[in-house]
Amino acid sequence: MGLFGLFSSSEEDKRATEIRTGAVAPTRAERQKCWAARDAYFACLDANGIMDALKEDKKAAQSCGRESAGFEKDCAAQWVTYFKKWRVQDIQKKARLKELEAQGAHKMDLQTDFKTQR
Amino acid sequence: MPPPVTTARAVAYALSRVTPRHGARQLSTTRSAQGKRLAAAPTARLQFQQHKPLLQRRSYKTVEEAKSRYRSGPFSWKAGLLFVITAAGLVWYFQSEKERMKRKRIAEATKGVGRPKVGGPFELIDQNGNKVTDKDLQGRYSLVYFGFTHCPDICPDELDKMARMFDLVEEQRPGTLLPVFVTCDPARDGPKELKEYLVEFHPKFIGLTGTYEQIKDMCKAYRVYFSTPSAVKPGQDYLVDHSIYFYLMDPEGDFVEALGRQHSPDQAAKIILDHMKDWKGSLKTS
Repeated sequence: MGLFGLFSSSEEDKRATEIRTGAVAPTRAERQKCWAARDAYFACLDANGIMDALKEDKKAAQSCGRESAGFEKDCAAQWVTYFKKWRVQDIQKKARLKELEAQGAHKMDLQTDFKTQR
Repeated sequence: MPPPVTTARAVAYALSRVTPRHGARQLSTTRSAQGKRLAAAPTARLQFQQHKPLLQRRSYKTVEEAKSRYRSGPFSWKAGLLFVITAAGLVWYFQSEKERMKRKRIAEATKGVGRPKVGGPFELIDQNGNKVTDKDLQGRYSLVYFGFTHCPDICPDELDKMARMFDLVEEQRPGTLLPVFVTCDPARDGPKELKEYLVEFHPKFIGLTGTYEQIKDMCKAYRVYFSTPSAVKPGQDYLVDHSIYFYLMDPEGDFVEALGRQHSPDQAAKIILDHMKDWKGSLKTS
């Protein structure tokens, strides 16, 4: 690795650090990289039956240490927390919907235009 | 023996019960006879007059043919076709009118007095640093979306959707729709950041930013909820909570309809194009 390689890798590191700290907004490619790392991490959590990665952080670190490191490397720290919380809510939402469907509830599309009700 | 007065009354009663009926029968007979006589005279004359033309118009050859024509009556395949076409035309007309009225109701719900007012005057700067006011958006429809560049997942998805929606409308009515992105995070999203961010979605997107006060007023005018976490230290990362609707505004700057996550780009583009079709005023195209 020459001087140029060292320089460019430090540039990359700088950019990655900026993204992690939220100093810059990620580009489309960087977002996609982050989402891929997130999906890999969530797949690991699924496989290990972990729902809340924030509450069960020790178990999560033990089972999905490698994926977690990738997730935290490619995403802003804020995003990592956000996605972890989002996953819990999403699981709960899906479970609740399933429960409601089992009770015979009908799925309906939300109407959001300000139609006058008659 | 009853007194004579009573007898007379009884007889009169008996008569009244019998005579009118009898009289009526007589009357009706006379009237119908007269009626017959009156009606018969002109008919006879008419028959006499029309005797020849009726014979000439006859086009059937056999009695069977005449009978079959009589049985089918006024119903022929031509009449049936006319009926079906008319019915289909009427159904189509009423349905399209009904939908047009529905859209009109939505579009006019915010016009006039006593209506909720969404939108209004503003003064912000775009991603090139130029001043943009509500006047610059007038004359065209605009699709306004609020977000921020550090948004983790929903805004990028929605902005991609907005780009597809915009392209679909551009194909049909080029230059009639302005895609506008307003940041809810003016502290971090300056013109430079907006420019870098938006160009990846669509080169024609207009990004608006301003001071915190200006953005707060803008969000208030559009009834957009947003919350920046309080007590943010400089350089600290945070996320912004905000409403995620596309606001369709008409060429006069009045709110038309909110498009949400449940609309696909095709559905949303159709809604926008339909509203454009209804628009009676002038519409800039370039």
